[in-house]
Amino acid sequence: MILFLLILLIALILFGLPIFAGIMAAAMIGLHQSGVDFSAIAIEIFRLANAPVLLAIPLFTFAGYLLSEGQTSARLVRFSRSLFGWIPGGLGVVALVSCSFFTAITGATGVTIIALGGLLFPALISEKYREDFSLGLMTTSGSLGLHFPPSLPIILYGFVSGASIEKLFLAGLLPGILMVGILCLFSVYMGKRWKLERPAFSFSEFLMALKEAAWELPIPFLIVGAIYSGFATATETAALTVVYVFLVKTLVFREMSLTSDIPRVMIESMKMVGAIMIVLGGALGFTNYLVDAFVPMKILEFMKGMVETKIGFLLMLNLFLLVVGCMMDIFSAILVVVPLIIPMAARFQVDPIHLGIIFLANLGIGYNTPPVGLNLFIASSRFDRPIMTLYKATLPFLFLLLLTLLVITYWPPLSLFLPSFLN
Amino acid sequence: MKIVQRIERILSRIEGGLLVLFLTAMVVLTFLQIVLRAFHTYGHFQWANTVVGYLDWADPLVRLLVLWVAFLGASLLTGENKHIKIDVMSELLPTRWLPYRELILSSVCIVITALMTKASWSYVRMEWSFGGTLFLGMPTWIGQIILPLGFFLMLCRFLLRGVGEAVQLLGGRRR
Repeated sequence: MILFLLILLIALILFGLPIFAGIMAAAMIGLHQSGVDFSAIAIEIFRLANAPVLLAIPLFTFAGYLLSEGQTSARLVRFSRSLFGWIPGGLGVVALVSCSFFTAITGATGVTIIALGGLLFPALISEKYREDFSLGLMTTSGSLGLHFPPSLPIILYGFVSGASIEKLFLAGLLPGILMVGILCLFSVYMGKRWKLERPAFSFSEFLMALKEAAWELPIPFLIVGAIYSGFATATETAALTVVYVFLVKTLVFREMSLTSDIPRVMIESMKMVGAIMIVLGGALGFTNYLVDAFVPMKILEFMKGMVETKIGFLLMLNLFLLVVGCMMDIFSAILVVVPLIIPMAARFQVDPIHLGIIFLANLGIGYNTPPVGLNLFIASSRFDRPIMTLYKATLPFLFLLLLTLLVITYWPPLSLFLPSFLN
Repeated sequence: MKIVQRIERILSRIEGGLLVLFLTAMVVLTFLQIVLRAFHTYGHFQWANTVVGYLDWADPLVRLLVLWVAFLGASLLTGENKHIKIDVMSELLPTRWLPYRELILSSVCIVITALMTKASWSYVRMEWSFGGTLFLGMPTWIGQIILPLGFFLMLCRFLLRGVGEAVQLLGGRRR
């Protein structure tokens, strides 16, 4: 009976049952099985009101939504064009860098392709970049920059795993730069091969673009600075970011009205917060049941005969997360999967900080993985191309990203070097 | 049906208004504390520290608001059918099956949110009988009331959508 219910539930989730309802149902089935009252789930959900870290989520999301409105994206693209436009394959580099930057400052809430695609894709085509290259580039750009502060997935991972968010932010820097860097090199290589025309570097344009973007460019650096100088905690930094972005948008650029735009964006961003936090609430209830029923122990026991070495475990983890990443969004994937993996990772002596970076890299790549990676569908509708075209166009980028994934997974110092200074 | 939809719209506006109010409070209260603390640390103003002392209710309030905002947002989201889900099947299933899928999923969600409403209501009643307080003497159960309320609002919206789909399907067949 229970088995039947669980199979039915998994089928329903695959058919589009809201994730939060799915895991709450799973938790209820489990609790029923162990004869515990369902209010145990409510107790866990109320824990959401007792975690200071979680305040960072609504605040950073609001700041991100503010930034995704108006001309911020255009100013960023103009600046990076003036900076990188002149190198071979430069516009590709521009696209990669500005997308990662934008993903970072909007907290990786999935708005990048929609906000920047319309600007960058036509520009790439008009500078004679091949269409499949441009499509693949824009698609993969949608999940770059997940590693940079103030990425919400990192905050969520820190909350669920108990790892330090300050350390995670530092740990993500080098792997994030590696991923963006490799794709940039690819673009430069292709630009050279195609002998694309390139504009000359203009210092006056650079200055003008810099002046225009000067308010928004420093945001990630201010965030990092505020946190690591010890001036403010991650949560307080989130509040400072909101106030700063709010003033820039309403007073400096006057591109958002206080009476109509701001309340609308507030509501929109809080819907996003609701979407994530209700899944988080369900995941807390579910995890609580799992731990009470010793499920992670049982999985460990089950895995014992199959995986014996750290390398074997990491390999399995990579494959498993790729599958998860191409089905689920990064938020629910982190919330549902991390609690199950943590005990196993501990057994194989994988550092929780390193594990977080592997998760992010893996799930980000999963977004671009056929057949059902989310980025592919977003790009397909944004650029109005059949999904098969996007599978093909994304393939070379996917290959490069998988290479970086191997480096990130099997060379821990890349992630752990910077945080080691933080003691 | 018309009048139900109107109630739903009014409800959405109330929820939206509360979201704006709560988010503003979260930003202002957090920011205020940082500024006051900075005054105290860097400017050595004794009064700033005193004010921070009076604001000791702000942190728990803001934390509680995170929960309230989450549930209000999730409730609004339910009305727009935008909860996070695995959305592969919308592309793979034949279009004419989609309303049936919608109907099935809404019904399942109705059951789940109904169970959650009941479970969180009994949690609130439990807390009520304990009589604990959160801050400024506010009883804990008032902070917790958003759980059954939020699940109930979601329940209503899933119900509304399920009924809507069913009416459309039946109407379509008759034509």
